[in-house]
Amino acid sequence: MSRKSDFISREKFMQELRRLEKGSVTRRHFLGVTGLGAAAAVLGATMPGLMPRRAFAAGDIGDRVVLATWPNYHDPANFEAFTAATGAAVQVNVFGSNEEMLAKLQAGGSGWDVFVPTNYTITTYVDADLIVPIDTARVPNYDPAAFEARFAAPGTVDGKLYALSKNWGTTGFCVNSKHTGGVKVETWKQFWNMTMDGFSGRTMVHDYQLTTIGNALKYFGYSFNSIDPKELADAEKLLIDAKPHLFAINSDYQPSMRNEDAWMSMCWTGDGKQLHTDLPEIEFVIGREGGEIWSDFYAIPKGAPHLDAAYALIDFLMTPDINKKEALAHGYPVADSRVNAMLPPELLNDPILYPAADLLSSLEFGAAATLTDPNRAELMARFKSA
Amino acid sequence: MRLYAMAVYLFLYIPIGIILLFSFSAGRSASQFEGFSLQWYGKALSNPFVMDALSTSFTVAVISAGIAGIFGTMAALALQSMRGRMRLFFDALIYIAVMVPGIVIGIATLIALVTVFGWLNPLLAAIWPEGQVPPQMSMGYGSLIAAHTLFSMALVIIIVRARIAGMDRSLTEASSDLYATPFGTFRQITLPMIFPGILAGVLLSFTFSFDDFIIAFFVAGSETTLPIYVFSSIRRGVTPEINAIGSMVLIVSLSLLIVAQLILQRGRTPRS
Amino acid sequence: MRPQARNWLLLAPAGAWFLFMLVLPLVVVLVFSFGERGPAGGYVPAFTLEQYLNLPARWTAFKNTLTLAPVGTMLALLIAYPLAYFLAVRANPKWRMMLLILVIVPFWTSILIRSYAWIFILGGRGIPSLLAMVGLENVRLINTPFAVLTGIIYGYLPLMVFPIYVSLERLDKRLLEASADLGSPPWRSFMQVTLPLSIPGVATGCMLVFILLMGEFLIPAMLGGGKVFFVGNALVDLFLQSRNWAYGSAVAVALVAIMLLTVSLYMRFVRRFSDARDDVSLM
Repeated sequence: MSRKSDFISREKFMQELRRLEKGSVTRRHFLGVTGLGAAAAVLGATMPGLMPRRAFAAGDIGDRVVLATWPNYHDPANFEAFTAATGAAVQVNVFGSNEEMLAKLQAGGSGWDVFVPTNYTITTYVDADLIVPIDTARVPNYDPAAFEARFAAPGTVDGKLYALSKNWGTTGFCVNSKHTGGVKVETWKQFWNMTMDGFSGRTMVHDYQLTTIGNALKYFGYSFNSIDPKELADAEKLLIDAKPHLFAINSDYQPSMRNEDAWMSMCWTGDGKQLHTDLPEIEFVIGREGGEIWSDFYAIPKGAPHLDAAYALIDFLMTPDINKKEALAHGYPVADSRVNAMLPPELLNDPILYPAADLLSSLEFGAAATLTDPNRAELMARFKSA
Repeated sequence: MRLYAMAVYLFLYIPIGIILLFSFSAGRSASQFEGFSLQWYGKALSNPFVMDALSTSFTVAVISAGIAGIFGTMAALALQSMRGRMRLFFDALIYIAVMVPGIVIGIATLIALVTVFGWLNPLLAAIWPEGQVPPQMSMGYGSLIAAHTLFSMALVIIIVRARIAGMDRSLTEASSDLYATPFGTFRQITLPMIFPGILAGVLLSFTFSFDDFIIAFFVAGSETTLPIYVFSSIRRGVTPEINAIGSMVLIVSLSLLIVAQLILQRGRTPRS
Repeated sequence: MRPQARNWLLLAPAGAWFLFMLVLPLVVVLVFSFGERGPAGGYVPAFTLEQYLNLPARWTAFKNTLTLAPVGTMLALLIAYPLAYFLAVRANPKWRMMLLILVIVPFWTSILIRSYAWIFILGGRGIPSLLAMVGLENVRLINTPFAVLTGIIYGYLPLMVFPIYVSLERLDKRLLEASADLGSPPWRSFMQVTLPLSIPGVATGCMLVFILLMGEFLIPAMLGGGKVFFVGNALVDLFLQSRNWAYGSAVAVALVAIMLLTVSLYMRFVRRFSDARDDVSLM
């Protein structure tokens, strides 16, 4: 009853935002196509076979496990529950970029047991012999059939499974509509132009190359993943021109957006959702020109000091009802249909999490080449030191 | 004048006041006060990673300050009676050790050790007896202590040497004139006179190591020192737990400082 | 035991330490600076001057460091000197020790936590919101060179106050009294007696702060929002983001070279203008 009225008011709210109203039909279409829709929800909830098996606490796994992950990406209560169930405390190391994770692993002795790489980095880790294949027998709660292929597939390299799908999402931007003067913001072109105009001193960009350069490339309509020198030169010029107008170059934008030091920032889905939930005037926008769609994974680095605990933690987080709590806390979409079956429909209908198909189709997955391309790395460094 | 001094003290203490204030906040945010509570102190004290980081920092600081104190004093004693090329060479090393920025020391140690380990580990594996697991050398406690000791040792040498330079030579000469053994002279005359210098050097070394972030950031490997923990937490979005940790460290170091001051005052020998 | 053999034994551990933890790493950095970046980052051996020729790409970082480090040092001096003078000359001796300790106490909380407090003070909810109340809207403080300078001065003030205090404390107050008795106005006594005596302390303090500022990373990273970039930030970026060890090594070599050069020039300059040369150097 209350859920229904919530749903209606939600729909009304959506109507006020034209973009969302338009999206609702195609979104349902998208959900149907991808198997994440209401049908799956009804089906899943009634099937007891989908309930979690608690196999993660078998035997003594030691007293700690170290997880390297991203900001605002977990429900702290789940870690407490894991510690209570297994006796292993979870140390969470938060990183700002895949480059930084790679650098730390390349230097050796990271001490991590589990880390969270993004789709486009996994082949590089495999090539550099930095991660080990996952022994699925030790992750009984992982069910490959439950995962949507296009988000889970990058975890498999050369036929071997190296990483298990954690979440997927998009990278757009969030904008505080109090300051837009009623103008509808929906493109990267507007993002950059506003930064250099009315939003001067109020915009944040990520502190890593993929999205900052990629979304500057989108201004010109180039591919998000371009490594073409001429196109990169255009992006560099835009970035250098915009730099004096930026509030900060920082991947941790939530605090600044919340206290209104910043009005607009490049933004990952879940952060957009968290911000919008707490402060409805902050909207999440996927640029019409495109941008990034990504999926994150759990993986185990080579030489993980607490291997048993690593498997136990991954298995724990793969448990559908635990993963459901994670999703409710961080707001990122999950590729696991067992989890989606348990999530409230308003979440599955949320246009921030599940954008309309026409928006989604223009997005690109990050390409492995961008991670190791020296020109993109150096361009980013020049931009930062300019 | 007094007003000016008060203004500077205000400047120094406003941030400290803010840290203390938010450490008592009941809410999750470190920038919005939501009622008084001591919960974050409890959370910090019962968080195994905070305690681990604290004990790592403490262990590293004690060991590196200890090593620096002993070896640094030995070197300072030797250098006082040395002249010539060797002395110049050592002076240059000390000068460079103090002058090179911590960030360069951190990076240089990281890439040097990674390179050396890259050679040594296969070598060790090759010569290790069959059937046994060969040791894997990696960054961690060892590299952390070694890197911190470098700077600390230079510090101790400088301070102890200044103390020796200000020392009255006639006493040691009198002692050896009275047929005291060199060691006896050292123990009864030299050591008491240079002791405040050693103590000051060791205390400074401890402080440096305990507070160092940038060197540890590069060479700590899988270890987490308190500053590294704080840095990682700040990125995760600060909860008042960090403020509570900061406040506790402040209170403990304040007490240490007072104790050290008392010891130093008692140990201060009258200077001629 | 012969004194010489004894000396060698005493020096051996420290010597070995310096060799393995200072000389070896610096040599490795020097060697790497002539190498090339590996395909996925890291280092491949080579002999090329390419990294050094590419140094101008970090010109802004060097320029920022070479302006903000001296400016920060000067501002710290300007703020610290009157305080040190007050503590050494004017303050009630009964409270002097207490007041001195109060200068160091903030130094005993992690600079990270103190900088975080500054993010709050300089951020939108802090001073700018107070300014807005008196009609100054939209003042931006955080992520500006001003914020970084504030953090720098805050972080390094005690290092400046102490050496100056020590040199002023030695000042014989009878000198000042004599000077006043001879009808000299206070400012003249200050210029002719107090200031020259405090030069060694000023020189030491400035050098300490300057050296630390040249390698600064944390304060610009936290209070500069990635917009006020020091060489230290460029180095962290090169090793932790772009993973270009060869170029990073070249930047490190350049930084060390610039530091050794400026500091030796500075010491020569100070020695020439100071009588008390023994107090000047760190050694």
